[in-house]
Amino acid sequence: MRSGYFKERYSELIVLTDSPTVKTWTAVLLAVLVAAPLLLSSYLLSHMTIILFTLVGVLGLTVLTGFTGLISLGHVGFLMLGGYAYAIGVTRMGLPPELALVLSALVPAVFGLIVGIPSLRLHGLYLAITTLAFSYIASASILGGGSFTGGGGGIMIERPTLLGIDLSSDRAFYWFCLFMAALAMLATLNFRRSYIGRALVAIRDNDIAARTMGINLVRFKLLAFLVSAALTGVAGALMGMYLSFISVESYPFLLSIEALAIIIVGGLGSVLGAVLGTVFIVTLPDVFNAVISMLGGRLSEMLTTSAHEFKSVLYGLAIIGFLRFDPRGLRGIWHDIRHAWVYWPLRY
Amino acid sequence: MNRRLANLALLGALCAGVALPAVAQQGVTDTEIVLGDIVPMTGPPALLGVPHTIGVRVAVAEVNAAGGINGRKVRMVFEDDGYVPSRTVQGVRKLINSDKVFALTSMSGSAQGQAALSVIRQSGIPVMNSLSFSDDVHTPVTKNIFVLGTRHPLVTEQLSAALDTRYPGRKWALISQDDEYGEMTREGFGVTEKARKLNVVSKAIYKKGQTDFSAEILRARQAGATAVYAGGVLSENVAMVKELERLGMTDVPVGISYVAQVPAIVKLMGNAGSNVYTMDYVVSLDSDKGKAFIEKAKQHLPAADVERIHRFSLTGYAGAKILFEAMRQCGRELSWDCTIGNLNKIKDFETGVLNSPVSFTPTQHLSMPELKLLKANPATMQFEQVK
Amino acid sequence: MDYFIQLVLSGLVVGAIYGLVAMGFAVIFKATGIVNFAQGEMAMLTAYTTWSLANLLGTGAIVTIVIAIVLGALLGLLCERLIMRPMLGEPVLSVVLVTIGLAVVLRALVTIIWGASPHKFDMAGADALVELGGVAVRVSQLGVIGFLLVALAGFWFFLGHSRFGVAMRAVAADEKVARLMGISSARVQAVAWATASALAGLAGAMFAVIYGLMPTIFELGLKAFPATVLGGFDSILGSGFSGLIIGVFENLVGGYVSSTLKEVAGFMLILVVLMVRPFGLFGEKRIERV
Repeated sequence: MRSGYFKERYSELIVLTDSPTVKTWTAVLLAVLVAAPLLLSSYLLSHMTIILFTLVGVLGLTVLTGFTGLISLGHVGFLMLGGYAYAIGVTRMGLPPELALVLSALVPAVFGLIVGIPSLRLHGLYLAITTLAFSYIASASILGGGSFTGGGGGIMIERPTLLGIDLSSDRAFYWFCLFMAALAMLATLNFRRSYIGRALVAIRDNDIAARTMGINLVRFKLLAFLVSAALTGVAGALMGMYLSFISVESYPFLLSIEALAIIIVGGLGSVLGAVLGTVFIVTLPDVFNAVISMLGGRLSEMLTTSAHEFKSVLYGLAIIGFLRFDPRGLRGIWHDIRHAWVYWPLRY
Repeated sequence: MNRRLANLALLGALCAGVALPAVAQQGVTDTEIVLGDIVPMTGPPALLGVPHTIGVRVAVAEVNAAGGINGRKVRMVFEDDGYVPSRTVQGVRKLINSDKVFALTSMSGSAQGQAALSVIRQSGIPVMNSLSFSDDVHTPVTKNIFVLGTRHPLVTEQLSAALDTRYPGRKWALISQDDEYGEMTREGFGVTEKARKLNVVSKAIYKKGQTDFSAEILRARQAGATAVYAGGVLSENVAMVKELERLGMTDVPVGISYVAQVPAIVKLMGNAGSNVYTMDYVVSLDSDKGKAFIEKAKQHLPAADVERIHRFSLTGYAGAKILFEAMRQCGRELSWDCTIGNLNKIKDFETGVLNSPVSFTPTQHLSMPELKLLKANPATMQFEQVK
Repeated sequence: MDYFIQLVLSGLVVGAIYGLVAMGFAVIFKATGIVNFAQGEMAMLTAYTTWSLANLLGTGAIVTIVIAIVLGALLGLLCERLIMRPMLGEPVLSVVLVTIGLAVVLRALVTIIWGASPHKFDMAGADALVELGGVAVRVSQLGVIGFLLVALAGFWFFLGHSRFGVAMRAVAADEKVARLMGISSARVQAVAWATASALAGLAGAMFAVIYGLMPTIFELGLKAFPATVLGGFDSILGSGFSGLIIGVFENLVGGYVSSTLKEVAGFMLILVVLMVRPFGLFGEKRIERV
């Protein structure tokens, strides 16, 4: 048992964790995740895959809204651009999938820069509207893009062979998504503990004060948009690969709201919160499905008309109830559990 | 790391391959057959999805009342995808892998069906699709997917041609949506435009979900249009027709797609819908066949569900019935290959709710039923056959 | 010229509906500092409830309008008391998310109780055509423009000259000081929610009369949100006007340029205006203290 936490070097301050216990548990978690395809059914495996690529997109939003405090309502636009960049790269421009994946990060990043320009002048909700406007403009341009973007019909793509690995099987794709999600998490965590991350958080807390401290608002706000858009773009490409089909309809405005819900329910401004939030929100509808089918059984066949709407009601009520009773989000609950686990039977 | 991943992936693929033959008999026990259906059952698209499930349930109740298929009762598992493509993929996976259904009676809407296409193709499960109208589903032919319906551009083409025959020499205005549905409308209309050298004075493309059409109709009037093809899905057509009425253009014939051939839409149009035409391949609910179907439904389903019946119930019923027939022909030895083989041999099968009997061949999995011209009647709040 | 007038008139109608909902957004923001993302859904629920009640009682047009306003206010009070009151003092984003959750619940409730099929909202005489200088308008369309003007005038008087209106402005300016001055901020917030919901309910009911009662009415909320932003979130009158501005602008673009650019043009207008006036056309410049 330790008597205190003493940091003697700067590197110890910013290290992700200094506790061997945490490292062990993380390794166990990683092992379980890697072994998951061998243990889980196909349905649960695809559920995990969805959680993984949603996590990449949510991390993108975390960088923008969680770290920098710039609310984005139109994040689904970056998702869409990433997906289309990948699809167009592979089908229309004949690029190898690896390059197309890089393109799916670059194209949204460029647009992120463009969207970021109003952010220098607008604050809060006014900025949110410009991001919303951007996502509408993006989807309108894609729909009007004729055969280059596939217009309303969308683009069908196959699962690629990346760096010699064939991703067409569910398991291989799961491992690929796991790899990308781990990479994104590491990137975001590193981002957060670096000078850039601290600058972004300073901007979030008070941007005028940050400016007086010598932080160049233009540079850092645009950088936040760039990184956020790139991450979300990659998530869009992953989602497109998963569905084997990219169309404007697969990226409805609802996803932006869902992403916001994830980071707020999970705990604003933290990567752990993003992870917990993603797992919670993505799993919630399936939990309700299971609950209703357990309770309903044959009854749900007869109630097909309304029973399914009840799921939506329960979903909304769950979000309301959750925030009502613990506005710190899932991260707060996690810290409580961890605190109790570490100090039990003592209270503090 | 690369090689290990490759080996593991290969192992995974091998396991999947080894697992396949055992999967062919899924969903079949000695006493029952489990079938799956995935449609939007929540939110506004439920207007089309829920009646489809009602039609399927009528078919199921009918076949179960007659003793089932070769002694096995049919049980349905309904999945809701809320019209979101990623949920469709999840739902289809759940139906095939967790619920282990024997066949699917729908593939949800068009973008949704396209998203689920690769999963369905990979699994090889027989699918009878009466809702999805995207071209990818039937061209090129997928071994296990059968589509009960027609190509949407063909409907637009035939309807505009029929209207041109009835009202020759008119100046046309085309108002279509900005998504795939609109593209198909424009494609079909373009065929007739070229073939009959239509005088098209105004073409407008509106964003999906738009509710106010004053600008589009005003543009059409400004250009001197005397006939309109309204390419909306449901309520858009109502708004367009009411705008025409407001501007006093009530003698302008309007063509709309069969998706709007539901009583609720006629009611909403009111007197403004006195010149509205459509073409459909299902019988009218007022006809003898339609009334017989409603009687059948009343026997097996609660009254609240019978009230919701419209054309999508008829297509759901027809699709399910054809699937059951193919399964019945297999006898007690029910398998995917046998069912698909029988579906390929379906010839002139009479469903009792369509304008023409249904046929499939190994190279034609799109049934292409006969279309008949219908006109809205505000007094009876139904669409009635013309001529 | 007639073409232009027609476009402007139809634009005013749509804009009036947007304006009413936008005013609702602004009222709640002004009094509580949060954005109520359930505004469109509240409009929809009120419209449906009004329809059911009006059909049950067989009321005429004016009584139906009154019912819509009253039911809207009641819904607002209910939501405020049950859901927003317990969230007092929580971070703004959490409260906003609660409104999103509320929106999901209300949306599903409407489909559960009334189904997904569209219905006709019959209001006596609403569909009748009126000739206005050579242009045919429906009574309901004129009515909604009238309602917006009445609402604008009413709010102008209320905020400037009535005690409660001044109290609301005080709460918006500085809540703590307002409470020190003896103003019950809880009551102000309740009234704000009731008013906003009444406005939205009226807009929803009129939308249903003009276009049909369908479960997609909630999209009004999303469409009116840009109007509030354009006018300035803390300007109620500004939001109302901006609704009209956006409605007319969009229609003119649709009539003279292309229908595909309608919505995009609306957003471009907002972007341009915001670059010049970052707090909206009529919004107050927020002074940040460091």
